[in-house]
Amino acid sequence: MSFIDALRYRLSVLVHPRSHARELREELEFHLQLAAMQRENASRGAMTGVEAYRAARRRLGNMTNLEEEAREMAGLGFFDVAAQDVRFAMRSFRRSPAFTAVAVLTLAIGIGANTAIFSAVNALLLRPLPYADPDRLMQVSLTLPASGDRPARDDMVWSIPKANVFRDAQKVYGSVSLYTDYQFTVRDGGAERDDGEYADSRYLPTLGIQPILGRNFTADEDEQLGAARVVMLSDAYWTRRFNADPSVLGRTLNLDGDPYTIIGVLPPGFRGLTGRAELWVPLASLPVEASREAWSHSFSMVARLAPGVSPERATEGTAVVGRLVDETYPARTNGTEHWGATARTLDATRVDPIVRRSLLILFGAVGLVLLIACANVANLFLVRAAGRSREIAVRLAVGAGRRRLVRQLLTESVLLSAAGGIVSMFVAWWGVKLLSALDPTTTLGVQRLGGLGAVSFDSIRLDASAFVFTAFLALATGIVFGLVPALQATHPSLTDALRADSTRSRRRGVGGLASRNVLAASEIALALVLLAGSGLMLRSLGKLLGVRPGFDAEHVLTLRLNTGESLGRDSLPGFYDLMLQRLAALPGVTGVALGDCPPLNGGCNGTVLMRRDRPPADPESAPEVGVHWVTPDWFSTLHVPLLSGRLFGTGDRLGSRKVVLVSESAAKRYFPGEDPIGRPVSVGQGGFWDDTAYVAGVVGDVRYGTIDSSAVPDVYLSYYQSPRGRMMVYLRASGDPLSIAPAARRVLRAVAPDAPVYDVRTLSSRVADASAYARFSAMLLAIFAAMALVLAAIGVYGVISFAAGQRTKEIGLRVALGASPASVVRLVVRQGLGIALAGLAVGLAGALAATRLMRSMLYDVTPSDPLTFGGMVAVLVAAVLLASWIPARRAAEVQPMEALREG
Amino acid sequence: MGGAGNQERSELLKGTLDMLILKTLTVQPLHGYAIAQQIHELSDNVLTVEQGSLYPALQRLQKKGWVTSRWSESPTGRRARYYTITASGRRQLGQEISSFDRVLLAIHRVMEGA
Repeated sequence: MSFIDALRYRLSVLVHPRSHARELREELEFHLQLAAMQRENASRGAMTGVEAYRAARRRLGNMTNLEEEAREMAGLGFFDVAAQDVRFAMRSFRRSPAFTAVAVLTLAIGIGANTAIFSAVNALLLRPLPYADPDRLMQVSLTLPASGDRPARDDMVWSIPKANVFRDAQKVYGSVSLYTDYQFTVRDGGAERDDGEYADSRYLPTLGIQPILGRNFTADEDEQLGAARVVMLSDAYWTRRFNADPSVLGRTLNLDGDPYTIIGVLPPGFRGLTGRAELWVPLASLPVEASREAWSHSFSMVARLAPGVSPERATEGTAVVGRLVDETYPARTNGTEHWGATARTLDATRVDPIVRRSLLILFGAVGLVLLIACANVANLFLVRAAGRSREIAVRLAVGAGRRRLVRQLLTESVLLSAAGGIVSMFVAWWGVKLLSALDPTTTLGVQRLGGLGAVSFDSIRLDASAFVFTAFLALATGIVFGLVPALQATHPSLTDALRADSTRSRRRGVGGLASRNVLAASEIALALVLLAGSGLMLRSLGKLLGVRPGFDAEHVLTLRLNTGESLGRDSLPGFYDLMLQRLAALPGVTGVALGDCPPLNGGCNGTVLMRRDRPPADPESAPEVGVHWVTPDWFSTLHVPLLSGRLFGTGDRLGSRKVVLVSESAAKRYFPGEDPIGRPVSVGQGGFWDDTAYVAGVVGDVRYGTIDSSAVPDVYLSYYQSPRGRMMVYLRASGDPLSIAPAARRVLRAVAPDAPVYDVRTLSSRVADASAYARFSAMLLAIFAAMALVLAAIGVYGVISFAAGQRTKEIGLRVALGASPASVVRLVVRQGLGIALAGLAVGLAGALAATRLMRSMLYDVTPSDPLTFGGMVAVLVAAVLLASWIPARRAAEVQPMEALREG
Repeated sequence: MGGAGNQERSELLKGTLDMLILKTLTVQPLHGYAIAQQIHELSDNVLTVEQGSLYPALQRLQKKGWVTSRWSESPTGRRARYYTITASGRRQLGQEISSFDRVLLAIHRVMEGA
């Protein structure tokens, strides 16, 4: 019972604090009146009622104090004490605005950077995929063994016949769906290229997505091979092109020349597993051949686990059925090479492993920055606490409990970090804005197939979990950097501070200094880890930027053009001539050419090249060669050198003797120690397989893949001997290449009104994209490292200048005894160097361990690159010297008489 | 604070105020002023309870569940808060009295022996 009475009482106080206070006042007032009445009676008329009341009131003392005391008794103590602490902290912040501003700003930057990177990690790695039961979704791929110099793969895409065999035989998945990405030419007045996906009717149900308008494809439409002309739109596309008009259903859209009926609109935010799709059309609308070509691998498979089947069991089941697929469609190699199938969770494929790794590294780096920021603020607190040691000692002496004081100091630090957390949201908002603007396909040069793209950078945002993260971080940092100084400041021996005995107070100062030294040394150590990491990234970036990709990208404009099926094979050469002539006639154009696949594209068309003057080898195991279509002037336009033989000429046309050019690497690979000129070869594409072609010349290597992978063997065919409708136009300009873009567009619209022109960019921007990812990581790491360096230098400066201040008397004595200013500077700087050396020793070990994680991100730089490490140590030592030289010089100017008198 | 006739006023022994309050409430519910008066009168004007100790003590007793309170009309017609001892308050009083007796006895022995 007593428990319930007590609880009811406490609750009523807690819930109605105001009425509780009011009642208390009323009760005290009642008491006063009765006391006054009694007094009046006792005085027998000598006192008036008013006088008696005043007397009673005097006796009662301070009513407010009384109320406060009673309130604390009632259990409101905690909140009241907290409020009191907060008020006290605010007062002390107002008294030292510079300290407060520096601390809040330091924390805001540290916490904000963490929140921004956390938001990226959350969106790209942690947040569940936006589909129903995402952990039940699997990506199923074909596997193929290594062969020749081609590595084994376990992420191969499917062909429709193989996928059909798999789907019919498997028992581990509830639903299996195929999809692939595609760019459609949408004609609607003008012509526009829009991203889309081919998918079957099981695609949306597998993911658990339902149209917000209209319907999904039907199973019937899956069967109408080559005829299912229906399309679904993304919400964004529907809004942009059709103004979100619900009556859009039933209207037609012209895709690649055929009318497609709009049957549905998909929910906002859904852009397919490719992450970019605006349009969805049935797989069955592909040409009928697609469903027959077992070796036309271009479809990704996503599947939902059957109820009760674990991902592990599904992977086993997938491998079993994979052997059946291999038996049904054996590889064309006398039975030695067996393909298979495997599965992994869709979640595991959501982000390219390189993006995953670098995000985690950045997350670690930004965490280190926050640690340094904490150490710095803790240092500031220690210095401040030392300044307040007398105040604290007095309060301890008059009976304030140590817990109470620690609580008060912690209130200060948590308040500071809370303020830092609030300000940090601005930093985080800005950081997230930057990060979400990244497009992984262009900015980061990420081109892998698979589930990649299921999560795009534009899903990075400040959401509830980011706020929770920030709040947690702010609280944790407040406690981390507040607890040590608070415990130290209220250490019982501090009561020594009260005594005038200066030797004792000196000893206390030394004790505080030791922990400040440790803090400063750990800042140096952490800063070195970050500096080493970012130094390596910068060195690697420098090497990347120094790479000669094999062509001259300056002053070149590129744009894509696709005539599709509108021009026949025989009329294309005439079209090329007309177009190139008209473009070359434009003012400011000094060169014009066509090519099919731009350099640094992440890879181009690959096929096999066979020598006809050697016994035929097995085509399946022949090494791959990149194949490229160009017009004769391509090499002069891009400044790719001719090494031997000749380039394509005007005589190399349809019907004339077939010729190819090979790159330097291809010449070395296929014709080691021989002269390739005039040798007969076959190339697996462009109609060059059955005929014999002759090598006409050798040209310089061009990097078509990524900037950090050296050129592979390449072979060039002429557009005039192997015409095709897909082309990239290269225009060399005498001035700014973009200034000729409008004129070039006008020419192309005139000569090919039906062909969409798209992807208009300078070649240098394509080259910049190729190193964008490295630049992005290096830039972020460099920013973090610079923050770390500045913070660590400030930390050292704070410790040294405080220590020098403490030793003013000693230094004065030394100067009085004849020490030169230089020797005083040395004395003080030596202390800074001591801190630096300790920090560097620890930091070096940490940095060597940490940079090993970066090996895969570095180009042509070893993770323990001595030059980088040496340079960064030098930078840190320089920063420490500067940070301790400033207080040292001040110390050297000490006037001995003043210093001695002050003590 | 000192005044005529107050020389004999004694400070309350630490911890005894709670016991005295509980004791005054065993007869009937009282308001704060009446509790102070009762203690003053029953001790032959020796013990004076300052308001500054009385009301915090009453809050403390409520917090422990030994006393409850409610507002009702006083004989003068004004609203006053009346305190009532609870069953657990009575148990507590019993314990305090017996431990107080032990202490008194002990003090007595010491004074005798000295």
